[in-house]
Amino acid sequence: MRVLVLLRLAARGVGRNARRSMLTAAAMVLGLALLIFSRALSDGGHEQWIDSAVRMGSGHVAIQAPGYLETGKLEHRLDGEQVGVAVEAIESLAPELGVLTWAPRLSVNGLASSAASALPVRIEGVDPGREATFSDFESKLQEGRYLQAGDGLHAFVGAELARRLDLEVGNRFVLTAQSASGDVEGQLVRVAGIFRTAVMELDEGLVHMPIETARSWLGTEGAATTVAVLVEPSVRTDGVAAQLAGRLGSDTGVRVLGWRESSPDLDSAVRIDDYGDYIFHIILFAIIALAILNAVLISVLGRRREFGILRAMGLTGFETGVVVFIEGLLLTAASGVVGMVLGFAFTWGFFRDGLDFSGLMDSEMSFSGSVIDPVIVPFFQLQQVLVSVYFILIIGSLASLYPALRASKLDPAEAMKFEQ
Amino acid sequence: MSGTTVGPRWNRHLAVLGIVSLLTAPPVAGQTAREILEEVDQLLRGESSQGLVTMEIVTAHWARELEMEVWSLGIDHSLVRVRSPAREAGTSTLKAGQEVWNYLPRVDRTIKVPPAMMMGSWMGSHFTNDDLVKESSIVDDYDFEIMFEGDRRGVEVWEFELIPKPEAPVVWGKVEYQVRKSDLMPTWVLYYDESGELMRTMTFSEYRSMGGRLVPARMDVVPSDKPEERTSLIYHELAFDIGLDESFFSLRNLRSSR
Amino acid sequence: MASDGMWWRVAWRNLWRNSHRTWITASGLAVGYFASIVLIGLTDGMSAELVENGTRLMVGQVQVHSGEYLPERNVHHTIGGYDGTDVDALLARIEESADVEHAAPRLFGGGLLSSGELTQAALLLGVDPERESRVSTLLSTLTDGRLPVPGAFEVLVGSEMARQLEVSVGDELVIVAPAADGSMGNDLYTVAGVFYTGTPGIDGNYAILPVVDLQYLMAMNPGRIHEIVTTVTRSRDTPAIASALGQSLSQGNLQLDVKPWTELRPELAEALALMDSMNLLIVIVIFAMAIFGVANTMLIGTFERRREFAVIRALGTTRRGVSRTVVYEGIILGLISLLIGALVTWPIMVWWHNTPPDLSQWFEGFEWSGAQWRPILRVEYSADGPIVTALALLLTTVFAAVYPAWKATRVPPADALADR
Repeated sequence: MRVLVLLRLAARGVGRNARRSMLTAAAMVLGLALLIFSRALSDGGHEQWIDSAVRMGSGHVAIQAPGYLETGKLEHRLDGEQVGVAVEAIESLAPELGVLTWAPRLSVNGLASSAASALPVRIEGVDPGREATFSDFESKLQEGRYLQAGDGLHAFVGAELARRLDLEVGNRFVLTAQSASGDVEGQLVRVAGIFRTAVMELDEGLVHMPIETARSWLGTEGAATTVAVLVEPSVRTDGVAAQLAGRLGSDTGVRVLGWRESSPDLDSAVRIDDYGDYIFHIILFAIIALAILNAVLISVLGRRREFGILRAMGLTGFETGVVVFIEGLLLTAASGVVGMVLGFAFTWGFFRDGLDFSGLMDSEMSFSGSVIDPVIVPFFQLQQVLVSVYFILIIGSLASLYPALRASKLDPAEAMKFEQ
Repeated sequence: MSGTTVGPRWNRHLAVLGIVSLLTAPPVAGQTAREILEEVDQLLRGESSQGLVTMEIVTAHWARELEMEVWSLGIDHSLVRVRSPAREAGTSTLKAGQEVWNYLPRVDRTIKVPPAMMMGSWMGSHFTNDDLVKESSIVDDYDFEIMFEGDRRGVEVWEFELIPKPEAPVVWGKVEYQVRKSDLMPTWVLYYDESGELMRTMTFSEYRSMGGRLVPARMDVVPSDKPEERTSLIYHELAFDIGLDESFFSLRNLRSSR
Repeated sequence: MASDGMWWRVAWRNLWRNSHRTWITASGLAVGYFASIVLIGLTDGMSAELVENGTRLMVGQVQVHSGEYLPERNVHHTIGGYDGTDVDALLARIEESADVEHAAPRLFGGGLLSSGELTQAALLLGVDPERESRVSTLLSTLTDGRLPVPGAFEVLVGSEMARQLEVSVGDELVIVAPAADGSMGNDLYTVAGVFYTGTPGIDGNYAILPVVDLQYLMAMNPGRIHEIVTTVTRSRDTPAIASALGQSLSQGNLQLDVKPWTELRPELAEALALMDSMNLLIVIVIFAMAIFGVANTMLIGTFERRREFAVIRALGTTRRGVSRTVVYEGIILGLISLLIGALVTWPIMVWWHNTPPDLSQWFEGFEWSGAQWRPILRVEYSADGPIVTALALLLTTVFAAVYPAWKATRVPPADALADR
């Protein structure tokens, strides 16, 4: 078969009618660019939800004692030795796994009382140095400062809690909780700083204190309820969790949890939103496919005469079809490249720093323990981009198939008739 | 469910259950504030008492009067039983160590007050359940200073300023306490938060001899943010060293109505 | 100058002269319409789901309280003060309003639930079981047992509360609550049922009993309630309905405070605003693609007809005449396509709306800003969306046809005929 000839004919067919080719290609280019844009935006949104929730929650990966997730009780804690083993395992992970940082936490439920009132709270003993980079409460600071290395009787409290207890920076208040021995113990602390996160449960019920103070108060030397690990990007969570579980083994009596297990609410939220995106993308794909198909079909209809000439020049019906198909492939390939570049350029050029929805909100808001930042920063995942490109190529190829079929079945005599 | 306040334990203790025990220290000339209070604190421990008390509670929404019988042993144990009104007769509260139990005769059940409710009001008064349980002693928690010594409206008094020690698990910023020099009877206690705002006022009056000791038979507590509200305790009978031991403060005894 | 009717006839005949092209273009339009309507319907369905779940479970759409009740929710501030009010008369007055569907009374309290050795603090909610079932879904969440019978000392507890207290249907429960007269109300109750709402704050904290039983426990007379919850006919107009209801109720001697859900749950209203804006972005993307597809197909189709226009011009038709035909063609084509689109779209939408697919097999429900999200993919439709979409697509069709036609008619007929 005269493949080269057909190829040349196809190339000439694309080039000769530049306007028509451009219009057909435009459908694919725009479709792909929109896909890349919307995908990056929704992935960026998810990444931000997850990041926000796990930083304030128990990390992308949490190492805990069995039973802690279900009960949240101090009796299910990691002792000093287990904490050491866990930390060693985390530190030994390869850097390319994407582990950003880790932080130990010792959490109990208790009561915070001031001269004005008393309220139930979640008390988290944290390592101030590590926590500062982990949960990023620094950026939620309203007054005072976050905990620092060397702090003793300091506490970092939610703004709503501080308001209800009538506390200001420097004020004393008493935390009461059941210690490891089962006795109810009081611990004096002073407000070092006040934060506001927009997550109501945190603002009205979370207290951070230095983990060493918490350990001696609760009689749990060296212990932690969770060793939280931060991973970037979040898709590496499962890899890191599997590696850690492998290294820690089953005999250490610890449990390794990914954020999907430790925050099922967030998991459902992301999955449902993903599902919404799938529907949206299916609809978008369908429209793109139809736009391409229509563009190609219409141009085939208008080119009957041209095909008639090809046939008259000695090409078989099949070869005519091949020419049309190759034309479609050429257009699709070119559009794929241009669309991808355009999609990146558009998203990167205009929304590198995020698409700002803040004009639509009076204040920050939250769901499932995550603060929703009204500015969505696009997040490109190579895999997602490739999937989009792949789909466009498939659609483009399929859309060229039918016109090719039609062109091959054209009756040359009929086609050569003068315009209808 | 208004959570009111926590106080340094003896004040609370004094306020609610064992008020009189505190006031048994004989006046000794030349003692420092700390020595006086330490002695009082020592006396408290191991002392048993029994009394009959009326509790008047006035709030913005209702007022009521309860007549109660009270037993106590030192600072760790006490038992309170309501005698009237009839609707609530037999309702009892047991404090043993850090736990508080209620007995409800109407449903014949004992209920342990859960940690989350420790800040709830005790019997609708301006005391919380937690007020009954706080354990540590005043001498351990506060630094003392005599901030005034002399004549107040014709009475020679001491006025102490109690500042919580830096690490003491105490919510107050400052406590002020006035005592008559002549007989060591307290006249008032003022509780402040850290910004110096008065949170609650406790006043003593009607000093009488009961069970062989001089005691203020009446005490009123007024929360500063609601000055129209108050809880008053008025003692009618009191006896000391009645030979109770820890076994008296049992769940079984809590249930037994008499 | 020929009559207008003639141009319409010419346009009509032109359309069917090349029926292939017409059908291809029409299909693009119809699918674009379908996709846009389905997508708008889906996003509206998601919002409606959130509003309804956020309000139907507990909040209702409009709440009536004593003017003093909010925000402290002091137990003593019942409607009508210490004496209460004629609840039935007030409910009747509220239900007189044409916009109010149903109304139900509620009484709140706090107390202890105790079973055996176990005791938990609880929020007590007194309801009229029959009326409550009409304004909220709370009582329909029973997983076990039945509704409590008024006066029989029966209570419903949340699933988490039941777990904590280790009780099930038929077990006895002591409820202790501070009463309105300062006494400690206490009575023995039977667990009539266990409910599971999926919202942890409700399942772990609430006990529900008939309002008369709670009034008795709290030593309140039968005229004392804290809240009247109503549902309204048009949830979108809740703020207006609430203020109208407030106006009409202010004529009595009761000091009443009437609030719409947007004020009771501002964070939900904000969450919806944000979601709406993100959905708008998605709708714009889909819409842009649909319009582009239609425009593209029209453009190519019209360009392909240059020769045809040239012939018509050569035969003496004015440029205005050609343009007019093309506009009419576009209008006819657009109307036919949209009619087809609507005929396909609407039955599907109605069917979808009435039998939304339940995805709970694949997804768990989750909480979003305090609103429970059922994994149901539902659609909602409104009048304006389809009309705006149809108009936009019609205009697109016409403009996309006229522009190339207008340009084509400027080319000297000879050049066009020679395909230069």
